[in-house]
Amino acid sequence: MVSERKIVYRHSLVTRVTHWAFFVAFLVLVSSGLQIFNAAPYLDASDKTDASRRVLAIGSPAQGVGTTSVFGRAFTTTGWLGWTDDGMGGRDARAFPGWITIPSYRDLADGRRWHLFFAWIMVVCGAAYLIWGFARRDLRELVLRPGDVPKIWPMQLYYLRLRSEPPPHGKYNPLQKVSYTLVLFVFAPLLVLSGLALSPGFDAWMPWGMHLLGGRQFARLWHFAAMAALLGFLVVHLGAVATTGVFNHLRSMLSGYYRLGAHDGTGV
Amino acid sequence: MRRRLFIAASVSAALSACSPLGTKLNENAGFHHLLESAEALNHRVIGTRGRAREYAESDISADFPINSLPTPSGGSYADLARGGFKNYHLLVDGLVDRPQHFTLDQLNHLSDLDQITRHDCVEGWSVVARWQGVRLSTLLQIAAPKLSARYAVFHSFDVDDSGTPYYESLNLEQAAHPQTMLSLRQNGKPLEVDRGAPVRLTVPTQLGYKSAKWVRRVELVASLGGMFGGKGGYWEDQGYEWYAGI
Repeated sequence: MVSERKIVYRHSLVTRVTHWAFFVAFLVLVSSGLQIFNAAPYLDASDKTDASRRVLAIGSPAQGVGTTSVFGRAFTTTGWLGWTDDGMGGRDARAFPGWITIPSYRDLADGRRWHLFFAWIMVVCGAAYLIWGFARRDLRELVLRPGDVPKIWPMQLYYLRLRSEPPPHGKYNPLQKVSYTLVLFVFAPLLVLSGLALSPGFDAWMPWGMHLLGGRQFARLWHFAAMAALLGFLVVHLGAVATTGVFNHLRSMLSGYYRLGAHDGTGV
Repeated sequence: MRRRLFIAASVSAALSACSPLGTKLNENAGFHHLLESAEALNHRVIGTRGRAREYAESDISADFPINSLPTPSGGSYADLARGGFKNYHLLVDGLVDRPQHFTLDQLNHLSDLDQITRHDCVEGWSVVARWQGVRLSTLLQIAAPKLSARYAVFHSFDVDDSGTPYYESLNLEQAAHPQTMLSLRQNGKPLEVDRGAPVRLTVPTQLGYKSAKWVRRVELVASLGGMFGGKGGYWEDQGYEWYAGI
């Protein structure tokens, strides 16, 4: 009986504000980042530009044709990548289409302005969230601990409907902990560090950042990969929201109040 | 099914709403001004610290893309190039105690820096090249900037299609950085015309557009506001950041 389940105050104001600001900043950073990527639509696993170490290349070998090469294997992606919407009603040789970039038309200078502004919003929100969560010990419930490891597989089996009950767990289940731990302590820091390593001023100041990542072009590759990983998380996150009560989750992230579910009211 | 629909609808709605909304906001002067405010913060936080990485001879890139016109279109340049730059003078003037004219021979004689550094283009690519020439600080010491001088402005022979001259600028801290130089040679040979002959700026701690080609004059000024578009450089006047350390 849903109506008899307890309603609890789950998300603090800081968590809710930083969550939505981070979300908006992330979308803007993806869109403006793709605008910046379009100026040099390839990624090399190297320090200086090196076509022999090219991992990804998006191009237009001929008028009206778009191709995407992954590790040297070319695919025709006309309309989606390479030859796409130019943001001004037509089509042109453009890696990512205008409907996904900021600004929609080709403008590296303004793409950079957006990117370098919203990067601050993302970093400040991320840092505020982590500091707040750490101080209030909220993060304890979110971070994967050694004791959670044996429960990961049973939880996966439950999700695959090969097990009737999830393993006992706290506010967040072991798989949620895996993804949140990856996002907070692997993908997001990698995103920030690889972004900084693209700055020649930062490289002169703290050369270890770029060295750690394998060089400057490698930093571009890491930056793109971390973005893709976070975008992947967003899809999984929305999937989890969709299957466990859209209204309940939206309310809890807006007002803070959440109605507990059958297995303890797992958070998303 | 409902779940997949929800995910697909929300991700694509969020991302595709971003672009038109962002494009609209981009054209709003007030919002654009807000975006530009990040530049001062980035300049303050990253600034001009440390030294750009130096490379080995074996790291030098075989190819160095040319991202400017192949040759400057300024009137006097073609004559100078035909004469092997014998009549070239680098003028260092403005707010200095001792304005200077340097011939190429004099600059070669003053040559005090040989470095292999990475050139990072704002577009995203990077190339490694060897640069030989004169530290900018060496020339500034000779010319002795006045206390009121705050920026060094680099005037190029180049002029774009609409007649706008190409120029760049650095503040005196960036100008005095030990790796900031006026290059005379690239990869061991005198600069080619399309590489900025006979003298170009090299600023390894900032993005490539700062490293102006075909420099004819270094002018010391108190402020950038009154010059050309007022933003301190040809690309800056077109929206790029003056602080190109990021």
